[in-house]
Amino acid sequence: MKESDNEKAPFFKSWNSWYVLVIGFLFLLIILFYLITKRFA
Amino acid sequence: MSLADWIVLVVTLLSIVAYGLYKSRTSRNLDGYFLSNRSMPWGLVLLSIMGTQASAITFLSAPGQAYTDGMRFVQYYFGIPLAMVVISIFFVPIFHRLRVYTAYEYLEQRFDGKTRTLTSLLFFLQRGLSTGISVFAPSIILSSLLGWDIIWTNLFMGGLLIIYTMSGGAKAVAYTQQIQLFIVFTGMFLAAYMVVKMLPADVGFADALQVGGKLGKLNIISTGFTEKGFNWSDQYNLLSGIIGGFFLALSYFGTDQSQVGRYLTAKSLKESRMGLLMNGIVKVPMQFLILLIGVLVFTFYQFNNAPIFFNEVQLKKLEASDYKDSLKIVQGHYAAVAVNKQQAVRDYTMARHDGEEDKETASLASLQSLQKESDSLRKKVVYWLNKKVPGGDGNDTNYIFLRFVVDHLPVGLVGLLIAIIFLASWGSIAAAINSLASCSMVDFHRRFTKKKDSGEDEYRLSKWYTLGWGVFCIIVAMFTYNIGNSLIEAVNILGSLFYGVILGVFLVAFFFKKITNSNPVFWGAILAQIMVLFVFILTKVGVFQMGFLWLNPIGAFGVVGFTLLLDQLFRRKLEARG
Repeated sequence: MKESDNEKAPFFKSWNSWYVLVIGFLFLLIILFYLITKRFA
Repeated sequence: MSLADWIVLVVTLLSIVAYGLYKSRTSRNLDGYFLSNRSMPWGLVLLSIMGTQASAITFLSAPGQAYTDGMRFVQYYFGIPLAMVVISIFFVPIFHRLRVYTAYEYLEQRFDGKTRTLTSLLFFLQRGLSTGISVFAPSIILSSLLGWDIIWTNLFMGGLLIIYTMSGGAKAVAYTQQIQLFIVFTGMFLAAYMVVKMLPADVGFADALQVGGKLGKLNIISTGFTEKGFNWSDQYNLLSGIIGGFFLALSYFGTDQSQVGRYLTAKSLKESRMGLLMNGIVKVPMQFLILLIGVLVFTFYQFNNAPIFFNEVQLKKLEASDYKDSLKIVQGHYAAVAVNKQQAVRDYTMARHDGEEDKETASLASLQSLQKESDSLRKKVVYWLNKKVPGGDGNDTNYIFLRFVVDHLPVGLVGLLIAIIFLASWGSIAAAINSLASCSMVDFHRRFTKKKDSGEDEYRLSKWYTLGWGVFCIIVAMFTYNIGNSLIEAVNILGSLFYGVILGVFLVAFFFKKITNSNPVFWGAILAQIMVLFVFILTKVGVFQMGFLWLNPIGAFGVVGFTLLLDQLFRRKLEARG
């Protein structure tokens, strides 16, 4: 089924890219937090 | 509070009520009142989602949590981005396609009326009680700290917002949440700036982090594993945050009408998804920054005298008990340790600046040892309050930040920070009573009254339901008086007791298309609810220990498991009947 304009993902070709961005950002934050924790441990 | 603080407080609160009334105009039917005519852009949806989740306790408790336990509390939020993705993929398209008013409406279309009624009732029970507690929790803190009458504080905390929520419904809630969040973030930023500014002249932000970090407050990631294996009673670690937090967030954002009602106001599926996904991106950094304020406050108190216990009402109880002499001795010892600590922390920062490694190491060791001593003295007070003083409460986490504000921030900013407590509360309470009213109207009134109301009648009745739920929440807040501030934790536990089961019903609806008979899921939900309550009781009586976040996956998987089992039994029974 073709997506209507009201359903198309903004900035990216598909919503999957948005999902990867959100999960990837969480992953990066966890790594950053881990490094901060290690730095001050 | 000074006159200037009172002026800032009153002007801020009245402005929000006036703005809410100004934004109240909407079409006089249920679409307008509960869904803002499905017209909201994603930015407003995002702020509404954030404003609904972030209560006063978020801004009071998190800095206190970082002060006492470090920043590992941030892991509690790791499940949110994952949940936002799952909800965007599976939940939101269905809610939009069916154009439902409430999440539970979908369950009638998928299963039957009784399943819808059961989940709506669980929502009423959980959200109604926890909103009452959300009125009471910040009120008791303000009342204890500023000497305000608790009844009037409850009335202002839960009452003023009813004016604009009743008048403008979801639209007024969303627009006021936008302004509320702007004021809240401005105030929190100013508070953080002031903490750093009030440190000694030669101590900067980097030094503050270094001191807090070296004293164990930047413990952001913890695995929960000890020499004895995984610690299931540990509330905040990577695993419980990702798994338990994911199920809690999935239930809360995907099935709690107070949140579903926010993203259903979006003008399209795209706007709903964007609001949710952006929430997944900004929520963890936001909580990180709020917790960081707690670390800065902790560092501030390394250079200044900190109260041994931040809730003065409880401290007075201890002073009036048999432990008053012991308390005096401990307080004297605590003050002496504080003087040595202030010297040690100055030596440490100076040695760091001068690059004298040996002196830095020695002063840090001394500071860490003094901090341990100071912690053990504080623990004595906590122990007496928890175990020895009748009606005592040894948890002062929620008082730390506000006590710092009242004792140290300049005139005007104190009023603003108190206003923030009100505004943060209003944002979440307004959304909650709006959603309770929408469920009352759509899931019960419309279905169970014989008379067919016009759109205008339904609009008018919805306003009365809003008022009714607002009054109910204030009454709950009045009755929770004197039970103690451990109730703040009870809000989270209350959610976890019911959320998992509600989520389980939705998981069966979305992912087990073969289950078309409604009876297995209905009875599966009841059995799972009993199981969750039973597990919770076992943890309370000490049969085993387990963090409350785990109740969410237990409830969700319980419903799925029981449903699959009962479905098989029902099928066999039908086959046997021929």
